[in-house]
Amino acid sequence: MTDTKTWARVKSPWVLHFNSGACNGCDIEIVALLTPKYDVERFGVKLEPSPRHADVLLVTGCVTQQCAERLKAIYEQMPQPKFVVAIGACACSGGVFEGNYNVVGGVDKVIPVTAYIPGCPPRPEAILDGVVKLLNALNPPKPKKQPKQAKAPEVAKPEAAVAQAAQGIVEEEKQVAK
Amino acid sequence: MIDFFMLIFRILIFPGFAFLLLLTLFCDWMERKIEARLQNRVGPMVAGPGGILQPLADFIKLLTKEDITPRAAKKTIFKFAPLVAFTIMVFALCFIPIDGASVLSANGFSGDLIIILAFATVANFLLFLAGWASCNPYGTIGSARVLTQFLGYDIPLFLIALTPAFIAGSLQIANIAAFQSTHLLPFILLAPWAFVLFIITMQAELEKDPFDVPHSESELVGGLETEFTGAKLAFLHLTRDVQVIFGSALVVELFLGGPYGPVFFGASWFWFTLWFVLKLLVVVAITEYITVVFARLRIDQVLSGNWRILLPAAILSLMLTVVLVTWVYPLVV
Amino acid sequence: MIGLIKSTFGDKVQIQLGALGAAAITANNGLHRDVLKTMLAADEKTGITAITGLDLGAIIGVYYHIHTSNVFVTIKTEVTKENPKTQTIVDLHLGAAFHELEVADLLGVVFEGHPSPGHFVLSENWPEGIYPLRKDVKANEIKLVPTPASEEIQLPENKRLVKIIIGPQHPALLEPEKFAVTVDGETVTKVEPRIGYVHRGIEKAAESRGYMQDVYLMERICGICNSCHAYGFVGAVEKILKTQVPPRAEYLRVIALELNRLHSHLLTLGHACLEIGYETVFQYFWRDREPIMDLIELTSGNRVYSSLMTIGGVRRDLKDTDIPKIKTTLEELRAKLPFYRQIYENEPTLKLRMKNVGVLSKQDAINLSCVGPVARGSGYDVDVRKDEPYSAYAEMPFKEIVYTTGDTWARMNVRMDEVEESINIIEYAVDNLPKGPFRLELPRSVPAGEAIHRLEAPRGELFYYVRSNGTDMPDRVKVRTPTFANIPSFLKTAIGESIADVPANFVSLDPCFSCTDR
Repeated sequence: MTDTKTWARVKSPWVLHFNSGACNGCDIEIVALLTPKYDVERFGVKLEPSPRHADVLLVTGCVTQQCAERLKAIYEQMPQPKFVVAIGACACSGGVFEGNYNVVGGVDKVIPVTAYIPGCPPRPEAILDGVVKLLNALNPPKPKKQPKQAKAPEVAKPEAAVAQAAQGIVEEEKQVAK
Repeated sequence: MIDFFMLIFRILIFPGFAFLLLLTLFCDWMERKIEARLQNRVGPMVAGPGGILQPLADFIKLLTKEDITPRAAKKTIFKFAPLVAFTIMVFALCFIPIDGASVLSANGFSGDLIIILAFATVANFLLFLAGWASCNPYGTIGSARVLTQFLGYDIPLFLIALTPAFIAGSLQIANIAAFQSTHLLPFILLAPWAFVLFIITMQAELEKDPFDVPHSESELVGGLETEFTGAKLAFLHLTRDVQVIFGSALVVELFLGGPYGPVFFGASWFWFTLWFVLKLLVVVAITEYITVVFARLRIDQVLSGNWRILLPAAILSLMLTVVLVTWVYPLVV
Repeated sequence: MIGLIKSTFGDKVQIQLGALGAAAITANNGLHRDVLKTMLAADEKTGITAITGLDLGAIIGVYYHIHTSNVFVTIKTEVTKENPKTQTIVDLHLGAAFHELEVADLLGVVFEGHPSPGHFVLSENWPEGIYPLRKDVKANEIKLVPTPASEEIQLPENKRLVKIIIGPQHPALLEPEKFAVTVDGETVTKVEPRIGYVHRGIEKAAESRGYMQDVYLMERICGICNSCHAYGFVGAVEKILKTQVPPRAEYLRVIALELNRLHSHLLTLGHACLEIGYETVFQYFWRDREPIMDLIELTSGNRVYSSLMTIGGVRRDLKDTDIPKIKTTLEELRAKLPFYRQIYENEPTLKLRMKNVGVLSKQDAINLSCVGPVARGSGYDVDVRKDEPYSAYAEMPFKEIVYTTGDTWARMNVRMDEVEESINIIEYAVDNLPKGPFRLELPRSVPAGEAIHRLEAPRGELFYYVRSNGTDMPDRVKVRTPTFANIPSFLKTAIGESIADVPANFVSLDPCFSCTDR
């Protein structure tokens, strides 16, 4: 049953887009994903209007003071399991606007972020790549074969970190469901 | 005893619940593909070969989401309305002959056309209640628009549905379909104006473009579905899809000769089901095509279109049919 | 006009010709109202472009930038910091309301007689008495107060009226902003905007970065009209430096600006169709927009932020081998336009949603100082490329597109026709590209001085005021974006119409809130 659940979640991620004070560059690249050249509906991604319907929150923008509380409210309205993707340099860390008086700077100062997609703005291909990586990381990791000789320890790959975060969320919801 | 098991089989598997569910999911996929292709895109591709499992993935994913009930919502209606609406729609579908006979009783009973139209109205009303019970301003406005729209369009729907009933001389769906088969004349040829009007009215009943107002994201966020999550949302979506099947099935039965068609070899129920499904897919394709090609009208334009254009047209259509049936067709048919 | 003011006011004002437009008129002690009254009486097309507030030490300068049908002047006034009060001009010209609110919010100037004071761009949890644009305020020393209990949504007194809040998170709006719409049944009676959700304090940030860094900062005010912002800043700085860039650079700048206009108009045309539920045409418009993005990438290296503008010219040259690709792409786009024109002419559902929706009369457009396609759709023919040609526009052959009906349909048609004109301009520029250098090396420090620069961004007139104090960081940068000037027109046109028309009406003015809030 876990496999079917994960399969369904990976094949049907519904996104909600929120602009927390962005210059529109990242937002138009996100809307461009829906258009014929990139067509993100191939992956089952649908742009949803209401936070209650969405699985993935795409946040752009450097999070202005006014938007910080709204961002939190929207995040809390989404049902579990949910993921947050910070798109663009501003969402990752504040970008060019870091340090300005009305800017919180970075989405992870307000809500937990699952994936970061840098760029100013990231190309639609880069956003797609990030979303697909996030989805693939939801699949349980395949067991690795033991190496014959001792190798230098591998640097933790980002997919592994995301997979761990995803597993954490899955377990957390199991706790909640109990 | 075997009859009893046969009945259970018919209700649950074929041509009952399981078959209808699979047909619904398939039509959802087909609609998304048609819409994508007409928009120069590809549509779902990753879930299963050609994306055919996409609606199933959507459904399962929604079932596994956390179920949130807002504090201010009217809990009982909020929780049960989607499921009851879905049940009523499937129940209404059970009266439509699919493999030569309908699921529940072999040939229906006189007046079952009116009964299933009433069931559709009740299901729509339950959807309105669901939106109202969510106590969300967008949900309230959305469900109010749903109510206004379907109540208004129900009247021409009933009137136009009477046209084939009049020609066949019966209010029993199975008889209407059989009439077309025995006389080898689908009613689309005998009353094409009624077919066109019925498609338009059905478009409004199903809330598809250009009558898409209750779903208009640009004004109403999620419309009546705004506050629903998880399993309840899954059943709301499924109810919408089953409504599409229901409307198209009605068109098939009333105007296209139902499941009847040439039987080449083997069991007749196989061929009847095949013809039914093929005709259904054609109608779904037509409605989806209309959806993609038009913009969305405003609510006041939708309502004035109903009272000023569609209702008089429906009355005229009925009168024209009465005249033709009484004086013209007996000479020809 | 300047002669008229000289003769009316004599010694009471000081006139400095050639500064900040055609002339800078210093008028203190409330005299600015009389000067403005004279100008309004003399020329009915007088309007206010911007009000700049700047911190000059012990005094706060309040500069009124006024445009008339043939000159652009600036009226300079001053108030002291201890008593920053001055008279409002809203009763003379409605279009000044937003500008005064902003100066009040960010600099603390009190405009006596303003109809609705209050926080404009700053958030509700901003501490009282701290004005960000004053020099003594440092960004990291600001302590926010807790937000007041509710944002005080005043319910209308008449119980029959319903107040609907649109935003900040709303599928129709790409950006966050809030509109409280009061409806009576289905008819709108009042619209109250609350902007400032995208306020990133760019004008203050510009004062602590070098001029070259500021080019990149200014560019990121808005992702859609980014080249125009960069060019506005660069043009103003070059005026302070009193340099003339080489002609090849001017042509390359025109190409970049027109490519910007093309992609922005196609974006708006598609977005408007999405708002009225016409997803199919939205997909088609954005499909046809992608080749333009490819062209922007070809000329500059990046899809959205071309970063072509730099102080002294452009950053990159255009290779001759790229020119055939530009021409073929533009030809293909031109061939697709008749299809879209035919949809706008013949498609019944689209016409039902767009015709006679959001009608803005010509007089209202003039009174509210509207700019861009919003003004040109109502018959008010302002276009900075024609009124005061900048860069190489004086040599470019193109028509100014004006429609007179003033509804949503007219505004969208203005944009569609401007797409064709932009294609003409780019083709002419590419065919007649002069040879020579494309960039001048200029010093990093800019001598003291101030200058303004106006240009026609896709949404309308974009205005930049730059003041330098001789160091390598600007003293004050003021930006007045076209959407800032156009929002009051939406507040007017939405009244009396159905709420269902609000999205279509709103998108037709092509709002860009990242531009508005900066």
